Amino acid sequence: MAVCTVHPTQSLNPTCSISKPSSFFGHSPRQLVFLASPACNSSTIPRGRDGVLRVTCSSGDTIVIGLAADSGCGKSTFMRRLTSVFGGAAEPPKGGNPDSNTLISDTTTVICLDDYHSLDRTGRKEKGVTALDPRANDFDLMYEQVKALKEGKAVDKPIYNHVTGLLDPPELIKPPKILVIEGLHPMFDPRVRELLDFSIYLDISNEVKFAWKIQRDMAERGHSLESIKASIEARKPDFDAYIDPQKQYADAVIEVLPTQLIPDDNEGKVLRVRLIMKEGVQYFKPVYLFDEGSTISWVPCGRKLTCSYPGIKFAYGPDSYFGHEVSVLEMDGQFDRLDELIYVESHLSNISTKFYGEITQQMLKHSDFPGSNNGTGLFQTIVGLKIRDLFEQITEAKAGASLQAAKA
Amino acid sequence: MASIITPITSSLEAPKAVPKANHREGISTTRKPSRLRVQAMSPAKYKGTRMKEKHLKEMIEKKVTEAKEVCIGDDLSDECRVAWDEVEEVSEARAHLREKLEKYRDPLEPFCNDNPETDECHVSEDDVTDS
Repeated sequence: MAVCTVHPTQSLNPTCSISKPSSFFGHSPRQLVFLASPACNSSTIPRGRDGVLRVTCSSGDTIVIGLAADSGCGKSTFMRRLTSVFGGAAEPPKGGNPDSNTLISDTTTVICLDDYHSLDRTGRKEKGVTALDPRANDFDLMYEQVKALKEGKAVDKPIYNHVTGLLDPPELIKPPKILVIEGLHPMFDPRVRELLDFSIYLDISNEVKFAWKIQRDMAERGHSLESIKASIEARKPDFDAYIDPQKQYADAVIEVLPTQLIPDDNEGKVLRVRLIMKEGVQYFKPVYLFDEGSTISWVPCGRKLTCSYPGIKFAYGPDSYFGHEVSVLEMDGQFDRLDELIYVESHLSNISTKFYGEITQQMLKHSDFPGSNNGTGLFQTIVGLKIRDLFEQITEAKAGASLQAAKA
Repeated sequence: MASIITPITSSLEAPKAVPKANHREGISTTRKPSRLRVQAMSPAKYKGTRMKEKHLKEMIEKKVTEAKEVCIGDDLSDECRVAWDEVEEVSEARAHLREKLEKYRDPLEPFCNDNPETDECHVSEDDVTDS
């Protein structure tokens, strides 16, 4: 939905009202026509020569977030946390194709980039390319449709059916306030990259990936430790060639590694998670611990806070990542209790919460989600809040810009 | 495996409400038609979804076998990599469907609410045999 707000420079006299046409501001020309009642004197509202108030809006108000992940689409916990921050739960579209990969909430639409496969399963087998290969994906269509949605136009997006391996008839996607494009290649094509207001890369280390896939697949007939390992190994060359390089473009990288607190832990249950945040990104102020730009090592467990094994350890500091200046916030270990979480939250800065305890509240709300007791849940929640903050700043900036245009 | 069996009390009217497996009234004392139902591990409600689950499970087995065969000799060949990518795709689809069922609802629910008489919206569990 396009939101174009008008802030009159002077307060309106109560009998003066301004109304917008009720029809949806879709891809109509960039000017909005307002109807002002006769009580609105020309001294209070700028009018054109024909006496009609016009406001110029920038095209669309959709912000686009890119999320690169190798965990399939729509099942990522990150998506659910993010949409929860905005309010409401993202659900598969009611009616339509039951195998749709799309998720929709009041404010957010999540599109799975697998829908832009140019080759279906048979086609990929014939050409000898994996789904990771750019040759299996239609980046022209991806760019065209993401651009259209960003400009406030609805699109007929194809559906890639993961069950059948075929491309199904398209579904209609209306432009939302927040569009998330999730998948293997959100930052691969430079034109699509340009459209992103914010981008995130979920970087799972091999050991953790292996542990997670074991949890996912071991109960399936046909799978064994060997087959799970073989599948990861076989996909690695394409992953390293086409997917991994995208992380240099991300505004935020969430790196998930095995813990350093337990020697030889290979269960992947306790995790060390690093939130790598690019400096200098518009509307994005990195989270910090205690003193921005310094280097900190912090173990919150002690006299004030008792933690159970293996405890919690934080680190923060500036670094360089693929030639960019970044700030890194790191958490190793697990939260066991509510008071540990609130204690940690109270020591973090620039977290973009709207009230004290908002992070804790969000984490508790989804305590059944994976990662709710460690850095993955914490940093995903923080990134969600940052994106909300970004959205509000961009919306405000656009409102300011349109006011300037109205004055001119 | 949890199983709750509710006896069939009356006859051949189209079922208006199928009692859920963990519904409090285990034994139906009213004249409302109920069904003999065994709640298996799968929370899939409709036949169409159960068929899909079965299909994905079989695919995983099949694709793993294929991949092992194709990769004998050269495990860096295109065919080998594509074969394991297919294994990943169907494993992920299987996990995703399982999760959708646990966290949301049967994906066929909106369709089946409007078209309960279609084959894929059949609710009884004894039509899909698990080999």
